Amino acid sequence: MLRLLSFTVFLAIWWVAALLAGGEKLPPPAAVLAAIVAEANSGALFFNLGVTLVRVALAFTLAMTLGAAIGYLMGRVRLADRLGDPWLILLLNLPALVVIVLAYIWAGLTEVAAIAAIAINKLPITVVTVREGTRVLDTALDEMAMVFAIPRWRAFRHVILPQLAPYIATAARSGLSLVWKIVLVAELLGRPNGVGFEIGVAFQLFDIPRLLAYSLTFATVVLFIETFLVQPFEIRLSRWRPRAA
Amino acid sequence: MQLEVNIARKAFTNAAGERHDVLADFNFALGPGEVGVFVGPSGCGKSTMLKIVAGLDHDYQGGIAYPSGARIGMVFQEPRLLPWRSVDDNVRLAAPKADDEKLSALFAVLELTAHRNHYPGELSLGLARRAALARAFAIEPDFLILDEPLASLDDALAVRLREQIATLVDSRCATTLLVTHDVDDAIRLGDRLFLLSPRPARILAELPIRTPRSARSEAEIAAIKADVARRTNGDRAERDA
Repeated sequence: MLRLLSFTVFLAIWWVAALLAGGEKLPPPAAVLAAIVAEANSGALFFNLGVTLVRVALAFTLAMTLGAAIGYLMGRVRLADRLGDPWLILLLNLPALVVIVLAYIWAGLTEVAAIAAIAINKLPITVVTVREGTRVLDTALDEMAMVFAIPRWRAFRHVILPQLAPYIATAARSGLSLVWKIVLVAELLGRPNGVGFEIGVAFQLFDIPRLLAYSLTFATVVLFIETFLVQPFEIRLSRWRPRAA
Repeated sequence: MQLEVNIARKAFTNAAGERHDVLADFNFALGPGEVGVFVGPSGCGKSTMLKIVAGLDHDYQGGIAYPSGARIGMVFQEPRLLPWRSVDDNVRLAAPKADDEKLSALFAVLELTAHRNHYPGELSLGLARRAALARAFAIEPDFLILDEPLASLDDALAVRLREQIATLVDSRCATTLLVTHDVDDAIRLGDRLFLLSPRPARILAELPIRTPRSARSEAEIAAIKADVARRTNGDRAERDA
């Protein structure tokens, strides 16, 4: 109910702002809705959204898997931590644009280059977060698993992984919001389709209704995924925690 | 199963780089099904000794001998349950092959039946200890290691839990090492008492108790207690002299 109210307020402000600024600069909600319908009817909207989502999914999965593995290793093995740390600091502070441009230069304007560039941007955050989680693993529980001769894989799954889960969830959360932002830049710079590409075209043509049509549908999809996939997943992970009053 | 422990020396290095002996010439053997109770002042190195026997600490001089493949069940001073698994799931993680009926009986003895589906965060310390005991017994251990299982419980609860431990130990026939600073608990639970010195811990005296646990009279317990007091005070007098 409150969400609906805040959405209505947003639409009202938009409408008033459009009246004040003039339809040229800020088209009213109806014009943008018309653009959304037109793009949806031609199928372009769904195609471009789909392409972007696949890129997000691939880059996200790649960065999470690789990042969690490297983070765990760096948290457990001091040598790995010493060797990896300078690279981590470099990657953390490297602007996303640099990574994307270099990837396109070295690997060509390809899908692989785009996905790798997005994944590399997200990777260090995952590594740092999971490494933090690994460093504070409870050695008392490790000892328990050792005394009771719980097999390694079983112990990893049931003793280690649940302790890392909140860190992995945090990495996923912050990483996903980063990926949403970077994927459009990667598409704008070197892909012939996707939401980022369409926004780039709309920008060049100064087609503001289309620009907003793609931006808003994309934002809606992000909101939908965050609400219905990420948040329930986080709640599931912390089911066992005593609830805060 | 037979257990032989020979720890010649165990030392820790403190922050200043000085080495401190924790255990010295710590030798004993326990026969199958025997309950050895170690009584000593807190901080004397009892827990360290248990860790070595449990195979968690290999940095010592000496050796531990028991048949390979022996199953060890341990109750740590803190319950060390996984907070994200229910009591039942905690027990089953350690004992995946445990028989359902036997588990139910075990939970019944420990008065845990109503708490099987609770998470550790919902349990009092006493209940959490019992859950940890259930886990240690569920694997049908050859060796049972109990580190102060009755510490920081109120008296009535400690007595009940002590009786439950006695029942379980008698029914399982596991060779048991129990560490406590409470002489009364030691005499009521042990087949053999080992009296320990302050750091570095050595075995001052070894007292066998021949009467079965359930048949010990209050008079006998009082007599043994007096004996223990005499021996530990004697040691102190000797050192003071």
